[in-house]
Amino acid sequence: MMTLTIERVRAFNGLDVLVARDEGLFAAEGLDLRIANPVPGDIRSSADGTLAEPVTNQGRLQDRGQAAMFQG
Amino acid sequence: MIVCGALVVRPDSTIYTPQELAGKRVALDYGNGTAYAGLLMLEGAMPREAVLTCAATADPVERFAALMHGDFEATVLQEPYITVAVKAGCRLVSTTFFHGTWVADPSVGSEAYAAFVRALTRAVRRINADKRRYVSYFIRDFPGVPEIEALGPDDFDLSRIQLKEPGPIPEHEARWAWEWMAGWGLMDGAFDVPTQINRKVEREAHELAGRLNVEAR
Repeated sequence: MMTLTIERVRAFNGLDVLVARDEGLFAAEGLDLRIANPVPGDIRSSADGTLAEPVTNQGRLQDRGQAAMFQG
Repeated sequence: MIVCGALVVRPDSTIYTPQELAGKRVALDYGNGTAYAGLLMLEGAMPREAVLTCAATADPVERFAALMHGDFEATVLQEPYITVAVKAGCRLVSTTFFHGTWVADPSVGSEAYAAFVRALTRAVRRINADKRRYVSYFIRDFPGVPEIEALGPDDFDLSRIQLKEPGPIPEHEARWAWEWMAGWGLMDGAFDVPTQINRKVEREAHELAGRLNVEAR
């Protein structure tokens, strides 16, 4: 079984991922898909950023080696 | 997955078109795709110097509440908050769609990515065959939020829920997105395909996923 860890998705940007997980479609492909959640208190608010220097949580877990993919 | 973003104003707003947002504060969750979709909608309706934005939280619960409170003139929402806003009497003055793009680190190989693509392809087909069955996923993302829990499946406009089977990113689209962002000062340097897209892994994965899909039919 292959393993792949991705950052959290929500229905608006990852309905296909959530349905594939819940209906066993990843497992049927031999893929152990894991969804990494951010640690509570580790979420930074985009309200603290600027257009030129945004504050985003996308890619943070990938930067730390805790996820291999995220959806941008 | 195709993401829908809508530029939304309050029910009592005097704004009816995106052009009327020139010089008005529009709250965007900078750094997220929804914010850039908002910029695109505004830029298509007015000179760039007339676009006036402010930073907003990426949490749609708080952003919608701030909109209704009058903290800014408009914001961009995704589902299920587009549906919440419409139900509350808000107006959508512009709507757009954009791709969610997967960003992978070098550890992701073609076999694992092919399995991922194939599972998503099957999920897309299932969802497109009966979208109404799956709208509950939008509701369950916000447990305990009254305005969300008040929604039922029939409240959703299914035309805003669009899914497309995954495929390689066309170079011209990636280049255009890069150059558009550079034009806003959000990227430095020229777009370089080899440093942004591992075409070898991408090609191998999609070829493998495509072959498996044919075998599965």
